[in-house]
Amino acid sequence: MEVMLWSAVQAVLNGILTGSLYALVGMGMALIFGVMRIVNFAHGAFMMLGMYATYVLFDRAHVSPYLGFLVAAAMLFATGYLTYEGLLRRVVERSDFMQILLTLGISLILTDGVQLIFGADYHQINIPLLDVNVRLNQHVSLNAPWLVSFGITVIVATAMFWFVMKSRLGRALRAISQNRYAASLMGIDVMRIQALSFGMGLAAVGVAGGLLLPVFYLYPGAGDQFTLKAFVMVVLGGMGSIGGAAIAGVVLGVVESLTSLYWGNEWAVVVDFLLFLAVLSLRPSGLFGSQRV
Amino acid sequence: MTRPRALIAAAGFVLCMLVPLVITQDYQLNVLFRVFLFAGLGLAWNLVGGYAGQLSLGHAAFFGIGGYGLALFHGKLGVPIWGALALGVVAAVLAALVIGQVAFRLRGPYFALSTIAFAEVLRLSAKNLTSITGGDVGYQAPALFDDSPSRWFYWSAVVLTAAAFAVTALAARSRFGFWLQAIREDEDTAMAVGINPARTKLRALLISAALTAVGGGLYASLFLFIVPDQMLAIDISNEIAIVAMLGGAGTLTGPIVGAALLETASEVFKNLFHEAHLLIYGVLIVVVVMFLPEGIVGALTTWWRRRNR
Amino acid sequence: MPHLTIGPVGPRAPGLRERRRLSRHASGKMPRVIRPSPAFGAALLALVAGVACKADGTSAQGGGGATFRIGVVTSLTGSAAAFGQAHKNGYAVALAELNAKGGALGRPIELVYYDDQSKPDQAVQGVAKLVDQDHVPLILGAFSSETTRAMLPAVTAKKVPLIMPTATADNVMETGSPWVFRICAGATGYATSTIDFLQHNGAPKTIALIYENTNFGQAAAKAMAVQAAAAGITVVDDEAYQANSPDYKALLQRVAAKQPEAVYFASYLLDATTLLRQAEQIGLNPTFYTSAGTGFAAAEFPTEKGAGKYAEYTYSASQWTPTAKWAGSQEFDAAFTKLTGSHPAFHAMEAYATLVTAAAAINLGKAETAAGIADAIRKVKLDTPFGPVAFDAKGQNAHPLLVTQVQGGQYKVVWPPEQAEAKPIPTPAWADRK
Repeated sequence: MEVMLWSAVQAVLNGILTGSLYALVGMGMALIFGVMRIVNFAHGAFMMLGMYATYVLFDRAHVSPYLGFLVAAAMLFATGYLTYEGLLRRVVERSDFMQILLTLGISLILTDGVQLIFGADYHQINIPLLDVNVRLNQHVSLNAPWLVSFGITVIVATAMFWFVMKSRLGRALRAISQNRYAASLMGIDVMRIQALSFGMGLAAVGVAGGLLLPVFYLYPGAGDQFTLKAFVMVVLGGMGSIGGAAIAGVVLGVVESLTSLYWGNEWAVVVDFLLFLAVLSLRPSGLFGSQRV
Repeated sequence: MTRPRALIAAAGFVLCMLVPLVITQDYQLNVLFRVFLFAGLGLAWNLVGGYAGQLSLGHAAFFGIGGYGLALFHGKLGVPIWGALALGVVAAVLAALVIGQVAFRLRGPYFALSTIAFAEVLRLSAKNLTSITGGDVGYQAPALFDDSPSRWFYWSAVVLTAAAFAVTALAARSRFGFWLQAIREDEDTAMAVGINPARTKLRALLISAALTAVGGGLYASLFLFIVPDQMLAIDISNEIAIVAMLGGAGTLTGPIVGAALLETASEVFKNLFHEAHLLIYGVLIVVVVMFLPEGIVGALTTWWRRRNR
Repeated sequence: MPHLTIGPVGPRAPGLRERRRLSRHASGKMPRVIRPSPAFGAALLALVAGVACKADGTSAQGGGGATFRIGVVTSLTGSAAAFGQAHKNGYAVALAELNAKGGALGRPIELVYYDDQSKPDQAVQGVAKLVDQDHVPLILGAFSSETTRAMLPAVTAKKVPLIMPTATADNVMETGSPWVFRICAGATGYATSTIDFLQHNGAPKTIALIYENTNFGQAAAKAMAVQAAAAGITVVDDEAYQANSPDYKALLQRVAAKQPEAVYFASYLLDATTLLRQAEQIGLNPTFYTSAGTGFAAAEFPTEKGAGKYAEYTYSASQWTPTAKWAGSQEFDAAFTKLTGSHPAFHAMEAYATLVTAAAAINLGKAETAAGIADAIRKVKLDTPFGPVAFDAKGQNAHPLLVTQVQGGQYKVVWPPEQAEAKPIPTPAWADRK
């Protein structure tokens, strides 16, 4: 009985650690979809880019991924800004249809492009930290890289939260999300701020990619599963709420872990979607959302 | 629809039916089957996505239910083949009822995401419930046609497209069609004017689901063996939506044009560009979105109108 | 009957604008001029273009050309792209060798590739194209069990032989088609050779199955469940997982709770690595870590690019390793490494052996037609670096599997005794390893 309890504790803790990575991806999407209403189906593909950037730095320059993620974030910020300015800007005013189509097309280009450049082969990196396990007691132990990424996620999440809530740019962004036209009337340069925010959203995803690389592995399709999860997190957390998306990420991680423990790993993602549908039907504004759907 | 246009459409239909007299290779007939299958699926999607303006990215659910319905009703319950296909369609319509109840309460991207969620739950469940569906190991689907199947599948696909076309044409000019378009333009105002959006959208979805399920049954029977990743994949939902959107959602001929262009382009790119073909395909999509936002047919119509002003 | 006119109606034909005005004034009646709607025009045009495009597809030279064309369906893009490339490289090594020796019936062999994008429906399309347009008398492929299984009705209907290099699911050999041949051992083979080894080396009583939720995984697990039951071993846990997940710890907790003596994995390389690393974190310590090859038999698996030291002591039923005692194995390893810069996995060897067998059948049987080649394949017997190749009445090659154990970062064959190069080392608990 005691063992079963500790089993559950272990699963919950592992779920929180995994969920923190999801949270970063979700926060990026919260900025992009939740705040800016851009339906970005290339989210996972951009994350994959961040992973490749971190990998190249590790492979060629022996830079630890725990530093490399910063470079990946910067690179994705620039990429996001340029993508917005070059492609998305014109489509943003138009229908969701076209945004989805466009980002799907971008996703294809990125995935196939990376495959052409780097090959379809999988890559894995091995860092000493992977072997370190922090043992809490006889029944529960946590893997060091996940703890490190949890710590970094908390820092990044707090920074993002502070940025959106306290800074001038963040306030401008929130104004835009509430009413784009009124915001532009107030003298806010809507297009530029949206480009910057898109860049920031992707930067968050870049951090997630860099942190995921050591504990996962790399191939052109590595990011695909995270796109849908990101949308799920934004909806769960409530549109427009970056903190909500972060918490939703952790919730997803824990739910998946417990489902794997009690039902079976193959049902974990199904439960994600069922939870998503339940929230959409019963409480469409999400856990922390304040906006009408 | 005006009489001359109806005549042209009928002539086109006859021409298409005559094609297998000229083209006899399985490969080419299969590609043409794909073209017409996706034209039909795109037209079916168009009712919900184009006319009603509800972007559904989960149509693979109905496609898969049609295919699995055919296979399972026949294989597990011994229902005769064409009866099993009909039951599959019924199952898809029932699923549409359920999905519509939940999903249509949502607007815009939420609706799209919920349709994706439904389709993914179906796909993963099909993968996991191996005792029922065979899981990824697969399940056998019965042959709808025994002799020279390629031709018959091609004809079936043309008939499906014609049926979807006729349904769309009738709906577009009817009150139902006006209601759909009103809902697309502004759902709240439509409600204020006395239209019942929930019921109207649901009706569109039921018709759409039925047609899509027929397509799924045809597809399953062509391959004689189905797996969840083939029948319920998000790729299929995307492909259906892309075909309709690029061709011109909300237009009558858009999905046909979209299917013809995209399916043949996809095949040609594969033979031409080998490993890079997905990249080129992605570029094609991006280019069309950037420069032809109303889809190809939409752009052509606008250009024609402007020319004639 | 209304007067329908297209084009000039008289000495002073009204311009287009006037005609439109005229027709608009004729309220309720049909327009006097038929203007073909652009949309319809576009639709028809697109259809015609599509048909025309297909109608003059690549005209085939057929069997009488300067080269001997063999069709290949494999996954050059999509989720299995890495393995499709392995196929391609394996075929390339074989092609170079065979053409240096004269090719097939004196003509150089030409491989015509079709990319199935890792999708079953594309694989079927590939069969149609290769046979109808390129007129190949033989097809090799595909990579995965699902893409391969999808092709079977098509090759049977078109009466073209197919040699399968790597599809291990049992259902690919269960259609009864006389046109289908498989060179590698299947899921049941993995199970029986593993159980054979276990019964002679400690005879565990319980086993847990951990497998990816795909055709390959589900087939491997099902086969092992059947064979274990027949051998009196109890399956205490059956865990399917969603491939490419970052976190399997809860799954491994469930398995650990059942305390199985043996664990049987059916995984690809990356999940294999994740699973073993996380098994260490959870503290899962069965007496035997066994597997249905694949990821656990990959070339990188025991190296730093794979699971590294976590791979140590794991057993795998393997189709082939570079150190196998079959003549030519090491030469293939060298040639492949020279071509690609990395060592071959068994998938590449299977592709190589498939092409070599095909050429041998063609040359020995002097066969050029599909039916002739099928007969020749059925009769062919040869020794390859993949071991002896001979197909039984159902088309299956009785390929002997090796059971290897990772010792000191290397694969060592430990079973069957005739092929063994080392004795199995008992598996220490994770906590006891240095």
